[in-house]
Amino acid sequence: MPSAIELIQSLVNGVGIGLVYGLIAIGFCVIYNASGIVNFAQGVFVMLGGMFAYSFLVGMKLPLALAAAISIALVAVVGVLVQIAVIRPMWKRKAPMFAIILATLAVQLLIEQIVILTLGDQPRTYPEFTSGGPLKIGQVAIGYQLFWVLGCGALMVGLLTLFFNKTRVGRALRACSQNREAAALLGIPVGSMLVLSFALSAALGAAAGILITPMQYTSYSIDGPFGVSGFIAAIIGGFGSAPAALAGGILLGVVQSAAIVVFGAGYKNVIALTVLLIVLLFFPKGLFGGLAKRA
Amino acid sequence: MAFLSVRNLTKRFSGLTANNDISLDVPEGSLFAVIGPNGAGKTTFFNMVSGFLAPTAGTIEFAGTDVTRMRQDKIAAMGLIRTFQLVQMFQGMSVAENVEVGCHLRTRGGVGSALVRPPWLRRQEAELRAKAHELLGFVGLGAQAKMSAELLPYGQQRLLEVARAMAAEPRLLLLDEPAAGLNAHETDALAAVIQQINARGVTVLLIEHDVGLVTRIAHRIAVLDFGCKIAEGTPDEIKRHPDVIAAYLGTETTDA
Amino acid sequence: MTSRDTIFTRLGRYGYFAVGGAIFFALLFAFVFVRGGYLLTVMQLAMIYGVFCIGLNFFMGYTGQASFGQNAFAALGGYGTAVLCVQFGWEPVFALIASMAIAGIASVIVGYPTLRLRGHYLAMATFALGLITYDISVQWTSVTQGYMGYSGIPPLGIGPFTIEDERMKLVCLMVILLFGLWVSGRLRNSRFGRALRAISTSELGAAALGINVARYKLAAFVIAALYASASGSLFAHVVGFISPEVFGLQMVVVTFTMLYVGGVGTVLGPAVGAIIASLLPEIVRSTGRFQDIAYALALIVMLIYVPKGLSALGGLGRSRVAEPGAGS
Repeated sequence: MPSAIELIQSLVNGVGIGLVYGLIAIGFCVIYNASGIVNFAQGVFVMLGGMFAYSFLVGMKLPLALAAAISIALVAVVGVLVQIAVIRPMWKRKAPMFAIILATLAVQLLIEQIVILTLGDQPRTYPEFTSGGPLKIGQVAIGYQLFWVLGCGALMVGLLTLFFNKTRVGRALRACSQNREAAALLGIPVGSMLVLSFALSAALGAAAGILITPMQYTSYSIDGPFGVSGFIAAIIGGFGSAPAALAGGILLGVVQSAAIVVFGAGYKNVIALTVLLIVLLFFPKGLFGGLAKRA
Repeated sequence: MAFLSVRNLTKRFSGLTANNDISLDVPEGSLFAVIGPNGAGKTTFFNMVSGFLAPTAGTIEFAGTDVTRMRQDKIAAMGLIRTFQLVQMFQGMSVAENVEVGCHLRTRGGVGSALVRPPWLRRQEAELRAKAHELLGFVGLGAQAKMSAELLPYGQQRLLEVARAMAAEPRLLLLDEPAAGLNAHETDALAAVIQQINARGVTVLLIEHDVGLVTRIAHRIAVLDFGCKIAEGTPDEIKRHPDVIAAYLGTETTDA
Repeated sequence: MTSRDTIFTRLGRYGYFAVGGAIFFALLFAFVFVRGGYLLTVMQLAMIYGVFCIGLNFFMGYTGQASFGQNAFAALGGYGTAVLCVQFGWEPVFALIASMAIAGIASVIVGYPTLRLRGHYLAMATFALGLITYDISVQWTSVTQGYMGYSGIPPLGIGPFTIEDERMKLVCLMVILLFGLWVSGRLRNSRFGRALRAISTSELGAAALGINVARYKLAAFVIAALYASASGSLFAHVVGFISPEVFGLQMVVVTFTMLYVGGVGTVLGPAVGAIIASLLPEIVRSTGRFQDIAYALALIVMLIYVPKGLSALGGLGRSRVAEPGAGS
């Protein structure tokens, strides 16, 4: 039986990883709301974020902020390329949902293999953003990276909220999510909005990947589990607002890390995916609303 | 005891009452029509009777059995077969194959027999084809049997759906706006087919927007408006009914 | 005798095309058989993937449902047969059949709740099945030996008769593939298959005609799982080695590529696609990672430009049953 300290510790860890899931979930929502597409390759952005940041930080010894900025920008470019080269042509031909999902899976395999060829298949990690730590409260240790995750996560959600509410482009994107035909009639360039949604979503994923890598590791194969975890968080959050997605992510993270205490770390993905199946089966509309009916 | 007996059927969708306290008795062997202006709740009513929508309140009895909230395929197995306003064609299958799917309830066989193909199955398949051929001839699609179903013009797709439903040997056939989108000529052909089906002893419940068609062929008509049944009677009674003229025919003339 | 009786008579309508195709594949097979060497292995794998694709085609082609996690059942077959043979000394044939039974039961247990889902949920849930199986095969080292994988899996055979010769393996696999195709063809044109195909375009219409949609979907899912499990077991026996990577995401993408190359929803499509898609990379002599990249790219291009599969270009697509004198 795990001790109370262990459980509290796992809660703390769970919040950290959960926030990252939440960020990935927001990425899912941004694309889904703009286009009705669920991008199964979302985890690729997380993986690329971590791998690029590793290359710039450790390989080229760039300062952290610069490495992160370049990585995020590059991943956003990848997102745009995926949209233009794969999603848009299918979208224009009114491809069925199933075909689009399959295409995003193929994109995932494609990028994985390219990453193996260029950056290698070994797991990579780099030091936490701030040295020292962990912070000890009683017997519970809180790594400094958790504060970075919290801070950056809050910052990004705040910026997103501002973007969606206060800027012209953000409002246009929201209009697309409510009614694409009407948005097009109002003169909003829907096509460009879809590109933008992929860029935003990819950038969010990359940021999540950069934040989480020091706490775990990154490698070509983390994309599947992270993508699915983000999707689970999005489902729990009901594919609606960013805060709900974050809440969904934290819930999943906490459940997962509590389960790790019981079953062992090796099975964390199995646990997350089992949570997915349970959520899907018992709460097919999510805990905070449905996929079809967005609040 | 009526063949189909609907009691106090009500359906509410979050605040909106689509069907309010509808009661209806369809006698065996009759050709019964439910009419009403757009949005009167006809399709909601139909979906509940055929098990595609669970009612908020009320009961549906078919041939003496309570079928309220029964699964669609079980209701179909009892002999209550429906068509759809939006034609539900089985694409990628030929016209004849569509009708053969209709025979599902009247045939047997699963994976095992399909692999072994015992004599009875061969006989059954032969009968199946003969039946499909006969029914396609009946609705006038004999020449198109081998065509891909989705390539048929819209009016013929409707006829195919009727043939397919007939393959299930219904005791009660529910037709959901069968004349929607048909031209006058096609509507006449359809009316003849429906009357022949009824003459074969199949009870028909028809939902229709086209009042002309209904008053011509139906034995009895119920009128829905704003989710309520406002009148029921013979075609002549309905044509003279003041509420119907006000609610239905009135709006119809202003619409058209 | 109508043209629907067997897949062969139906093909007869396309006379030259069918005969040409049959001759082409016979010659190809003879060439590979005589030539031997590496091509034998390629063809063996094509047959194994072909078996998997026939199953995938049942669920996806005939029934019109999306599953991105059939590799889970292939893994079950592969590991099932490996453990039973290596740890418990079972006869390979019995191990293969037992693994299929296990996969069948597992697919009922998993499929019953999962298939109630729709759209993106169903897609993600099935995808998750593959990921879960992958992670278990990596982590449960006491049974699966983790990343190391399982080696020393005995070849197919009964008692003293084992098929160790590479050419005999190929013949044996081809017989199995043909049997799989025969089953698929018979079921497609039966009451059962018609119900599945009805469901694929209109669940409402099927239910209104008395078809128990949930049950038929589950049946198709189980059949697909049986084929997948058989192909996983065959891989284990023929190659003698399995690892988690064998049944990873690339298996999903590769098999869908094959299905699209051959033609979704046709009887022969899965086998034709598996053979063509396996041989093409050999012609350009690409291997390993580049091969996976090639598959992924090919699939993306096909999904965009020929969404009905390459066979649609030759007029052999799924609507061929139906083509009258009109059409093309």
